Amino acid sequence: MDVRLANTWRLTLNEKNFIKSALLTEIRIDGRKPFEFRNIIISLGREDGSAEVQLGQTRIMSIVTAKFVQPYRDRPNEGTLSIYTEFSPMADPSFEAGRPGESAVELGRIVDRGLRESRAVDTESLCIVAGKLAWAIRIDIHILDNGGNLIDAANMAALAALMTFRRPECSLGGEDGQEVIVHPLEMRDPVPLIIHHLPIAITFGFFDESLMVIDPTHNEEAVMAGRMIATVNANGDICAIQKAGGEGVSQRVIMQCLQLATTKAADITKQIKSVVEAYNKESALQKINREPTCVGTNVKEGQDQTLDNKGITELVGKYMERLKLISGESYLSQNINDDFETKSLGRGTDSHGIKFNSTPLSWDPYSKGVDPEFLKASVASQGLSSANEEKEWRGEEKPSEAERPGTYEDVNPKSSAVDAPRIEMQMIGPKKLKDAVKPKNKRKKKASSVI
Amino acid sequence: MEIKQSSSPTSFIDSTVVPGDVVLDLSSMTNQTIKLGGGLRQDCDAISAMKAGTLRFSKPNKYWIESSQKRYVPCVEDTVLGIVVDSKADNFLIDIKGPALAFLPVLAFEGGTRRNIPKFEVGTLLYLRVVKANFGMNPELSCTDASGKAAEFGPLKDGYMFETSTGLSRKLLSSPTCPVLEALGKKLSFEIAVGLNGRVWVNAASPDTIVVAANAIMNSESLSTAQQIIMVEHLLKNIQ
Repeated sequence: MDVRLANTWRLTLNEKNFIKSALLTEIRIDGRKPFEFRNIIISLGREDGSAEVQLGQTRIMSIVTAKFVQPYRDRPNEGTLSIYTEFSPMADPSFEAGRPGESAVELGRIVDRGLRESRAVDTESLCIVAGKLAWAIRIDIHILDNGGNLIDAANMAALAALMTFRRPECSLGGEDGQEVIVHPLEMRDPVPLIIHHLPIAITFGFFDESLMVIDPTHNEEAVMAGRMIATVNANGDICAIQKAGGEGVSQRVIMQCLQLATTKAADITKQIKSVVEAYNKESALQKINREPTCVGTNVKEGQDQTLDNKGITELVGKYMERLKLISGESYLSQNINDDFETKSLGRGTDSHGIKFNSTPLSWDPYSKGVDPEFLKASVASQGLSSANEEKEWRGEEKPSEAERPGTYEDVNPKSSAVDAPRIEMQMIGPKKLKDAVKPKNKRKKKASSVI
Repeated sequence: MEIKQSSSPTSFIDSTVVPGDVVLDLSSMTNQTIKLGGGLRQDCDAISAMKAGTLRFSKPNKYWIESSQKRYVPCVEDTVLGIVVDSKADNFLIDIKGPALAFLPVLAFEGGTRRNIPKFEVGTLLYLRVVKANFGMNPELSCTDASGKAAEFGPLKDGYMFETSTGLSRKLLSSPTCPVLEALGKKLSFEIAVGLNGRVWVNAASPDTIVVAANAIMNSESLSTAQQIIMVEHLLKNIQ
């Protein structure tokens, strides 16, 4: 007990009285005005997703990580965002190691509420397979030194870390289209989180006799009678307000606080954004610098490298192929959907078309998704052997007349034959919105066939 | 041989020592009595350092190690600023930033008897002197000087107390007056009490004088003499 008594930090009566009496003349012990923030220094770590914020004496580090989890039952297509706080006894002797204390829980909850309730982070974009797999974002907040106003600093650190965080890109692949491919960072640039706005927490400390300060220090926190934390963003939206017990606050004062908070939030947002921008620029530069050297070593050491290197280059090769295919495929499907006529024209004249046709179906799982439309297109082209249609078509597109049948067989020789019944189903089945706005020629076609 | 031995202790004085350094050899100075201060210990004939810092020597026979740290290690005859934590029947419990709470006997005041025991509220700031600092025991304090007079010891009223490192508080007490205090003293009038345990109390007529003085002192820790003077001038210009 004696040791604990000796280790607790305590305030003298002199300090308590001085803080209060000086505030009456609008002076604070560190020379600030009542509505002035301390100097904020935001430094970003060498790795993505880590930030350190210094707010006067206060120092807070925050690290963002991500992993795969199964999404919650009630929100099958959303990733998760969770916040963990660590109050080390090194920061303040009154923090106990182990179980998080009351203030640690409160801090975590306030930061969490600001981010979650205002939907600042787009959790839906974190979903990979609905109901099965999603990213879980974890924010770890470490208090390195307690100089007061931990909440604001922690909130800033969390935001800065979130803004620089990059997660590896994922896509679905494999034979059944359910296999998740996590692309290594070297292959595809990792993607940043989607952050709609920055909710900034601003702490107000209230002393008796209706004195108010912004960004209280450690000493002021020990003296003040109550506090309120307003989480607002630069647009002036109020994301959260926390007012625990203590001094009562009148409505007028709250409105004043919110106004002040909005202006401060704008300043802080600007600062965070400028720091993050500088960081992004630098990392982009580094990437540019790194790439040539990488290629150089590959070329130089290509022969005397071991299997590993070969494996990598093979991988890269495959990967590049895959990329090409994807782009080709998407190009193809897009063409079919949007602009049937021009495509067929192009096909007829261009040898590229054939190259695209042969590969995607046999390879890509996505083509299954594309199939119906794809088939519709092919059906339309074959016209279900309607002479009327053929005539129409011929009238419209003269140049590709001769080649057309051939090209369409190329598009999907197998599927058109096998899936014939399905195609009909599709045609009979309920029309989609897309069908309603099909190109003119198609509409004409139908009209003519009815006639 | 003899020259070498006598020169070895002087070579360590005012230089940096680390724990384990043997700084003095008693076998070569048998006819002397020496006094050891903080950070030194005796193993038979060898005096070795227990902490990193600068070895200091004051004539005629005092040796100690100076270092700058946040935690204070009590040492006899240091003047410190303490905060009253609790009061018991025989002792006040005082926080002096040390590893353990210090005891202030209720009778350790000028003319202290059982009848006139002072009453201190928890959180009162006191200017005190360390009387005993032994291993394994709580240090003992006193509110009188060695001759039993009150001197300047006792409770400090009003003003503002802030914490610094022990190194800075030692600098503030050094004998050619510390440049910050000198520069501040030319323009402002204020009272100051410095404890060797890294606590400084400042009092003045107006709160802004206290704030300026306190911040100037806190900022001066890592600055050179010229920088300190410039900093103080800059601060004073801002206030006027």
